[in-house]
Amino acid sequence: MRAYHLSWSPAEGWKGESSEYGMTDLVIYFGTREALACSERYKELHNRFPEAHILGCSTGGQIQDDDVTDESIGAIALGFEATELRATCQPIEGPIESYDCGAKLGRGLAAEDLAGIFILSDGLKVNGSALVDGISSVVGHGVPLTGGLAGDGDAFQQTLVGCNAPPQPGCVAAVGFYGNAVRIGHGSAGGWNVFGPRRVITRSEGNILYELDGTPALDLYEHYLGEEAKGLPGTGLLFPLRISDPDRPNHDVVRTILGVDREARTMTFAGDMPLGWCAQLMRGNIDRLAAGAAEAARNAREGFTGSSGYTGAAILVSCIGRRLLMGQRIIEEVEAVASELGDSIPRLGFYSYGEISPHAESGASELHNQTMTATVIGEAAGV
Amino acid sequence: MDKLFQKQLERSRLASGEVDLAKLGELVSEAYREAAQDRRRSDRSIELMIEELDELNRGLECEVNRQTAELRAKRAELEIQNSRFHAALEHMTHGLAMFDSNTRLVICNRRWRQMYSIPESEDLSGKPFIEIVEKISRGGSLPHRFSSPEAYVDYVFQQVKTGEASFGLLDLNDGRTFAVTWQPTQDGGWVSIHEDVTDRRRAEQRIAHIARHDALTNLPNRLLLLDRLKESLKEAGDRKYTAVLYLDLDRFKTINDTLGHPVGDALLKAVASRLWNCVKSRDTVARLGGDEFAIIQSRINNRNEASNLASRICGAINAPFDLDGHVIVADVSIGIAVAPGDGNEPNELLKNADLALHRAKAAGRGTFRFFEKAMDDNMKARRALEVDLRQALEKQQFSLAYQPIVNLAQNRVSSCEALLRWLHPERGLVSPAEFIPVAEEIGLITDIGEWVLRQALADAATWPESIKVSINVSPTQLTSGKMVPLLIDVLRETQVVPERVEIEITEEMLVLNPDASQKTLQQLRKVGTRIALDDFGTGYSSLIYLCRFPFDKIKIDRSFVKSLPEHEPAAIIAAITSLARSLDMITTAEGVETETQLKQVQALGCTEIQGYLVSKPVSAEEIHRMLYPKGSRQVATAS
Repeated sequence: MRAYHLSWSPAEGWKGESSEYGMTDLVIYFGTREALACSERYKELHNRFPEAHILGCSTGGQIQDDDVTDESIGAIALGFEATELRATCQPIEGPIESYDCGAKLGRGLAAEDLAGIFILSDGLKVNGSALVDGISSVVGHGVPLTGGLAGDGDAFQQTLVGCNAPPQPGCVAAVGFYGNAVRIGHGSAGGWNVFGPRRVITRSEGNILYELDGTPALDLYEHYLGEEAKGLPGTGLLFPLRISDPDRPNHDVVRTILGVDREARTMTFAGDMPLGWCAQLMRGNIDRLAAGAAEAARNAREGFTGSSGYTGAAILVSCIGRRLLMGQRIIEEVEAVASELGDSIPRLGFYSYGEISPHAESGASELHNQTMTATVIGEAAGV
Repeated sequence: MDKLFQKQLERSRLASGEVDLAKLGELVSEAYREAAQDRRRSDRSIELMIEELDELNRGLECEVNRQTAELRAKRAELEIQNSRFHAALEHMTHGLAMFDSNTRLVICNRRWRQMYSIPESEDLSGKPFIEIVEKISRGGSLPHRFSSPEAYVDYVFQQVKTGEASFGLLDLNDGRTFAVTWQPTQDGGWVSIHEDVTDRRRAEQRIAHIARHDALTNLPNRLLLLDRLKESLKEAGDRKYTAVLYLDLDRFKTINDTLGHPVGDALLKAVASRLWNCVKSRDTVARLGGDEFAIIQSRINNRNEASNLASRICGAINAPFDLDGHVIVADVSIGIAVAPGDGNEPNELLKNADLALHRAKAAGRGTFRFFEKAMDDNMKARRALEVDLRQALEKQQFSLAYQPIVNLAQNRVSSCEALLRWLHPERGLVSPAEFIPVAEEIGLITDIGEWVLRQALADAATWPESIKVSINVSPTQLTSGKMVPLLIDVLRETQVVPERVEIEITEEMLVLNPDASQKTLQQLRKVGTRIALDDFGTGYSSLIYLCRFPFDKIKIDRSFVKSLPEHEPAAIIAAITSLARSLDMITTAEGVETETQLKQVQALGCTEIQGYLVSKPVSAEEIHRMLYPKGSRQVATAS
């Protein structure tokens, strides 16, 4: 496999192409909504790589190797020797369609030799966990699903996703990898810590949380955020919620806020908030977050089986909440990832509204929040 | 260099390579602000968390306090319940002991300790059952049927193992009787309840005894007799006989009436004792009531053994009794029935022994008779007769026959004697000798007597005025006190003149109830009827009666007439007629059948004759014809 970086800046335009690297099969690109709003960048990429599948989405920032930027658009071009690719996308109007949408995507990609799927989904109209369940219901839990939900900085207004077309809202894109040559390693870790009392979700509907322990959840958040409550839903990212099934306490999931309704006193999360589950507030410590990122990268690398000389590329999907917390020190997590993956693996990533990856314990693909999710894609040695 | 600062420098570097200090300053300041913000956030969240946890703590504390208070209250309640329970247990009238699945004593109450003489001070809780039973055994209270404490323990374990409640009536070695219930509990142990039923049991036994024994003599009663008889019969098998002796004391009623009940009772007790001494230990002597006793003589080889016993008894009873100064001589009549010949069912044997007893009495008392089948037959016949007799009056089976009596001097009929006839539909004419005693016995005689009186007077009303009618009456009628009013009534009805009526009585009646008889006779005399003394010369023949009672006629018994012309009967007839004449009575010779007899009695001074020579008894029509030979008076025959 061959992989190399591309980036675009307003000043210099596209940089980084090399003609040595042969045919390109897949181009993945990330940029802010503002940067991707016009369809020009897509068109330029399409012109340059007419044979390739081109997938991209809007973000809360881009990761390009060791840097985190907002202004430039980052992209990675991948060429496969022995791996087939198929790309598909589905429109979506609202979270309620998520499961069916996922099932349709799954049907579009299902095959005997499907080895993995990479997904870029709308970040505001989707119930991420339902989407992932929908896809898994068709392709089975044995196929790893990785990817993420598109972002819109801390605005939470509109996200854009494109699949062989200019990026637009209300779109879910997926690319499937087929064959025995492809290797996919993945890791997902958070580094947030729970604190305070255990609470119970006493009223919820799908991914909308109404009440914890009988009182409106929004009250709790405003209380803890104090002054920063003005910044909801964005500042809500500072205190993710760890939720768990009381019958399976080890299987916990972290959820991020996507939106609030100050009148109804409700909070919308990126995934399901099942009634009766336990919920606990989490807070982040920068060192631990960075360590978490390193762990994710390590797991991805270890999962990527290949002998020396493998070639791969890493797609990093990190949560906007982490960026918000770490501020300028966000580079610490990026560097942590770099030190784990090493320089030989080019890295591209974005700050998302949700991350998709197999669960470290169960292996079933799920929506994660507040995590650094690393996916290493490559082909076996000699290829 | 700090990595962040390095990055900040990079970002502040201009294209020329110089550092934009302002930009750098901005980035650095921003970094400080972010750090400060992060710290504040941290502090705040920790503070809030502590607050929350405090609140939770307080809530928990409250909850713990509340629950503790609840528990305390519950415990107090439990303690009250416990003491109530304890009080209830201690005041139970039954003893209670509870054992767990390891047979160890859990609890016992005061009463239980009392019952088994275990002092309050001795703590038995936790002791195994076997130890406790050993202790009870040493105290003498082990149930009699168990040879050792282990045997009793095994028994209890078996009862408990069934899982069901069980009950036992235990006679203890020390003579008491306990009723014990064992109730297994769910945990594999059991609760036992003990009640001292010694007194109750004794009372029950006493009642059972009373139910089967005669109170006065303490002999078995009829119930027990029948039971024993049944057993005897079963045991006798094929080769042995069983005899039943039915006894009663002759004239006991008289003794009781004359000497009083206390003496009567003493006599019965003494009799019981003598009977007891006559029999073997395997035999049974029972009192059936009144002066009746019965004896079961079991496993005899032949009837002789029974008759020997009967003789012995007669002899034993015959010996004088000295009761409180009274010397009493009593006799006993005995009827004997022997099984299996005379029956093999207790009631049947008793009945047949009773029939034999009747025979013994009839034979003169103070003796014994064996049952004969004929007795039974006789009894049956007698029963049948009774039944028929009762209905005879209703069914108009009675009729009167008349025998004319002739006055020798006037050579004409002076009166006719009314004789009762009974025409039984199957048997034909039944002899009065047969049915009159039965009628007397079953109390029918008064009704029959009334019928006779009415009929006879009705018939007499159709005869010439000079002819009297002679009517026999029974002792019952004579002493009833109703006869005279009845007679007056009938006389009025039939318009017969009282002097035409002659009432015939026998000497026996006078003896049996002299006072009542005399009263009636005096009344009859007042009414104007005539009175004749029948069958004179037989029976008591006490001449004092001739003074006491106002007789008009003496009828000389036929047996004297029959014996003529022998010297003695002739002399007696002469004496009677002479006596009668001097007392202003007439005499009638009965049973005159021949002319010779007629001449003889006439010569001896008899006033009248009666007998076949004149006429046998004939019907009312026949008499009518006899008295009105020319048919001149047509009178409807009353019947």
